[in-house]
Parts: sequence; structure tokens; C-alpha cells
Amino acid sequence: MAASRWRLIARQKGDRTMKQSKQISRREFLATAAAGTAAIGVPYLIPARVLAGPAKTGASERLTMAHIGVGGMGGFHLRDMKRFQDNGTVNIAAVCDIDEKRLAGAVKTAGAGVDAYRDYRYILERKDIDAVVIATPDHWHAVQMVHAAECGKHVYVEKPACCTIEEGKAMVAAAKKYKVSVQVGSQGRSQPEAYLAHRYLVNGNIGRIQKVACFHYNSPIDDNPVPDGDPPPELDWDMWLGPLRWRPYNKRYCHGTFRWIMESGGGQIRDRGAHVMSCAMWWMGADGTAPVTVEATGTPPTKGLWDSAVTLDVTYTFRNPDWVLTWNQHTGNAVPAEERTGQEPGGKISRPDYGAVYYGDNGKFVHWGGDGGTWVEKKAREWKPPAGAKDVYESPGHKEDWFNGIKTGAKTIMNIEAAVGVANLCNLGNLSYILGRKLQWDQAGQEIVGDMQARRMMARPQRHPYHL
Amino acid sequence: MSNSDFKGASVAAIAATVTSAIAEAADAKTVDKLIAGIKDKDEQVRTDAWLGAGQVGAPAVKPLAKVMTDNDLEVARAAKRGLWKLVRHSGRPEAGAERKAVEAELVGLLGDGQPVSVRREVLWMLSEVGSGRSVDAIAALLSNNQLREDARMTLQRIPNKKALAALNQALDTAPDDFKLNIAQSLRQRGVKVKGLACVKLVPTKKTSVEPVK
Repeated sequence: MAASRWRLIARQKGDRTMKQSKQISRREFLATAAAGTAAIGVPYLIPARVLAGPAKTGASERLTMAHIGVGGMGGFHLRDMKRFQDNGTVNIAAVCDIDEKRLAGAVKTAGAGVDAYRDYRYILERKDIDAVVIATPDHWHAVQMVHAAECGKHVYVEKPACCTIEEGKAMVAAAKKYKVSVQVGSQGRSQPEAYLAHRYLVNGNIGRIQKVACFHYNSPIDDNPVPDGDPPPELDWDMWLGPLRWRPYNKRYCHGTFRWIMESGGGQIRDRGAHVMSCAMWWMGADGTAPVTVEATGTPPTKGLWDSAVTLDVTYTFRNPDWVLTWNQHTGNAVPAEERTGQEPGGKISRPDYGAVYYGDNGKFVHWGGDGGTWVEKKAREWKPPAGAKDVYESPGHKEDWFNGIKTGAKTIMNIEAAVGVANLCNLGNLSYILGRKLQWDQAGQEIVGDMQARRMMARPQRHPYHL
Repeated sequence: MSNSDFKGASVAAIAATVTSAIAEAADAKTVDKLIAGIKDKDEQVRTDAWLGAGQVGAPAVKPLAKVMTDNDLEVARAAKRGLWKLVRHSGRPEAGAERKAVEAELVGLLGDGQPVSVRREVLWMLSEVGSGRSVDAIAALLSNNQLREDARMTLQRIPNKKALAALNQALDTAPDDFKLNIAQSLRQRGVKVKGLACVKLVPTKKTSVEPVK
């Protein structure tokens, strides 16, 4: 039996145990952490599950998969998915990209018989396709995820989930209405050391956590600005823009560099923030909650097309329970990485210059990275849970967790509700920065309050016909 | 009115006129300084200038718009960023009068005399701070082939009945190739539109890339 299939079954067995166990609320977690004591010997539960309905796939069937966006991370996902094709979990049926050169390369990677498309909607029309992996620029995530859900497809979509508050609401609503399993690509939650950190913190080893301070280096400046021009023949510029308002092509928009444009990428806070703050929300038991205020300041680039903040400081204030999350983006503010042998669960630290420091009333704790590389301090890795310590959910791997969600209806580790919550942190931070003022957030109403301009910016009208 | 009252009123009027003239002169000086900074050769000076545009307010709207088409790419970019900064500063909750003044200046930039690139940018600025006072000028652009899609999205975003009425009216008058766009905006605003099926899921773009055999 393939290893990944074994993990799926193990997870299902574990789920049965967890169903019968007491679910520990966030408030309980924080209270227990504050007391610094270990508690009852039951696993920490993943949230309530969604039951897959029409879109549910039988446990013994191979999933038929399509990839939308095959450059950058999309290329990684396609290569990675072949691993699951080889072990009998999936069949890759189609690839899609708006760049013909990238598409031609992806067809070769995918292998014989895999269909190629420029327009993802051809894929959504196909009844034989169960699930799609979406790895397009951020401004496409919500539209494509919602469309896929409307066509009954399960979705793995790259992070950050959405670009606006209203996009996020639409994504959550679509996943619920069409009963599809959605995994968002903040894969840090599924890393081996993320489990160790979560377990360490939830058992109160640093006491009640009052502050989580994320650190990251600067966003880049466009050091080679060029005038607008004609798009290269292989690129469908209209389709690249999609929901964004039309503007002339400029080669500094793409590929990859979309990350540094506020409308399409949003800078480091939406790229890495969607990773490191995802870990924070997970470990703090804060999924489903949000700050009451968000305040950002930053410095813009002095030239070039890219307009995301070069340095950025954001403070998120949470209430009841009270804690503070900060995002500090300044080159040189990293916490020096621990020495490692490479034999640790997550291997050597390859991205030491971003992460977070957790401040509790009994000490502090550092993690580095937060994406596919997530590394945590030795004290968490070597901590031996005493009898009666709480356990937490251990992901079998980010894609494996998604496959399990598809086949069993279990909620994924980075489900769409959690991912939209994290994306909202990123988006509200950027919004406060560009407006130059503090924002008030009402989590119950899912809205900004007291600022009409900011409220309008909770949504962005989309170009026809590339809309939600 | 007695003679002394008249004299008093005249003095007040003269004082108001003088104050206004001084304010205008001060505005003009501040605007000139802003524009000089925007046009500076040093990128840091340009950046500092556009970051301060919000404080200058409405008098700087048209001068900044003029520089948005400067031949120097980075100067034009600094002017655009300055105008956005100004619009966002004017939209703060306690600044109603300032926002109205900026809105009025922006509406004045929607006319045919302005470059399309400037008008497009101004439409999106009005999508954030525009009110009923902007709607007629925006709606007029629904018949401009280069700007109608931006005008539609702007009206969609302005949360008042006048903007919605303009979209409803446009559904009757728009050419066939634009009716679906208007219908999209109306649906986003919660209106049920009959007879114009949404085409968002209809694929249209073919590739020339063939599968590997």
C-alpha cells in the first residue's frame, strides 16, 4: 500500500477518535496555556467537518485532476502531482495557462494524453474532472475558485485566498453551497515542525501568549522600469488581466513580478504574510476570529511600476482574549537562525529571514519560514509531551490532507474560512497602509466600520466577463 | 440696513475677499512647490513630494493630472501616485468638505479635453470617493467605447440610488455588445436582470498547444 494512502486511512481512524472527544475551544486553549498545565489526554480537534454531497468522490477512486496556471508555483504543483499520479491517487487530465510557451512546457511535463487549454472554463465544462489546482496570480484566485465550485470541482488554490473582503465572502459561500473541498496553499500548517510548534504552544510551554511578532525583509523596488508596450505573442494579456481593470501591457507586470503590484500581488505581506500569519492563527487557535483594529504604516518604492510597500509595519489588535499580532517588514530585522545538522524533521533552515516570535508570560518562542519550509526552535522539537498532554492535529501533508477532505468530507487544515481570515489580515494591512489610517473591523458583520471609503474598497468591481 | 451696518458688512466682505485671496495665493504657492517636487530629478524628492500631496488637497488635483502625462515616465508616475494619495487622504471619515472639493475637481477631469489614460484613472478615483454629484458625468462615459467599462465599474461601486438608476437606464440604451456588462453591474447591486444570461462560465479562448501523443 502506498505510504500516502496509508496516511489517509490513519487519519480517518484518528478522525473517528476525535469525533468522540472533547473539542477544545480557543478560549480554553488560551486559558490552559496561561496556566501552563497539561490537560486531559484527548486530541485537539480539527474544526467541525463539512459533509461532501454531490461533489463527493468515492474513497477508492482516483481523482481526475486539472491544473490551472502552470508557471511558478503552478509548475511546482504539476510536478508534485505526478508523485500522486504515480502512487495511484490521481490522474492528471488537463493543464491550462494563458502563456502558450508555459503551456507547451506543462504539456510535456504532464505527459501523454494530457489536454491543454488557454481558457480555464473549458476545464470547468468537463464532467470527468473532479478537482482543480489553481496557481494563477492572486487577482484570479477568487473568481476561478468560485467558478470551479459552481461547476462542482474540488479546489486547491494558491494563497493568499483573495484580494478583497467581498471576494473572500464569495469563496466561503461557494464552497459551502456547492459542497466542495477547498485547500488553500498556506502549506506551512502541514509541515512536520508546524505540528511540533503547535503542540508545544498549546500545552502552555511559554504561558499565555500576548503577542506574535512576524518579521520579514523588504519588498523589492522595480529597478528596471520600462514604458508600456505590446505583449509578447505567446501571452494572452486580456486573460492575464482577467478581473482587473484594463491597462496597457508592461513587462514588469509578469510573470512572477505580479507579486509586487498592489492590485495583483500586494507585496510581501500577502505573499509571506499569508504563510507566517497562517501559522500564527492556527497555533493561537484564532481561526474564525479577527482583530478589532488594524493600523499600518510603510514606505513606498521611489520608482518603477511596482507599488507595494517596501517596508511595512502593521499592528492587529485582538480582543477577548486580548493579544496583538504584528507584521514588521524591514530588511535586517530577522532573528538569527538556530544551528542545525539537517537531520531535524524539517531539515536545514533555508529561509531564516522571515518568521515570527511568540511572546508568552513564561517565555518566548521563535519559528522561521512558514511555507513549505517551516522550522521551529529546538525546545519545541525536543519537547516530550507528559502524560495527559494535549495533542493537536498532525497533517499527513498538504495535498494528502486535501485528498482526504475530498474523499471523506473532512474539513481541510487550511480550509477556505481559515484562509479567507488570513487573507483578510493581509488585505486589511495593505488597505490601512494605502489609506494612511487605522481601520476598525467588525468580525460579526464581516465589515469595516466608520470609514465609507474603506468600506467601498472591501470590494473591487471586476471586468466583464471575468467576474464572480 | 443703516449706513454703519453697510460699512460693517463691506469691511467684512472685503476682509473675506482678502482672506480668500491670501488663501488662494498660499494654495498656489503650495501647489507650485508640490509640482516642483513631483518633477524633480531626484527620485526621493519626487517620492517625498507625492507622499505630501494629501495635505495640499483639491487645488492640486488638476495640476497633478496635467503632470500625469509628462514625458518622463517616473515624473508621470509620481504625479499619478500623488493624485491617488490626495484622493485617499480626502476620503477620511472626518473630511467631508475636503472630499467634496476633491470630487468636484475630479469630475472636471472627465471631459473630452483630457487624455483617456487620465480619465480612466480619475474614474477609479471617483469609484472610491464619488457621490451623486459625480454620477451624471460618469454615466455620460457609458457611451464612450474606450471608457465605458471603467465607467460601468465606477457606477457599480458608488453606493447610492442615483448610480443604480444610471445603470438601469443604461441597460435600455446601451448597444447590444455592452448590455451584458451593464447586467453584470446590476446583478452585483442586487437587481434581477431577465433575458441577459450571464456568460462568465462560457469559454472563448482556444489554444494552439497540442497534447503530447
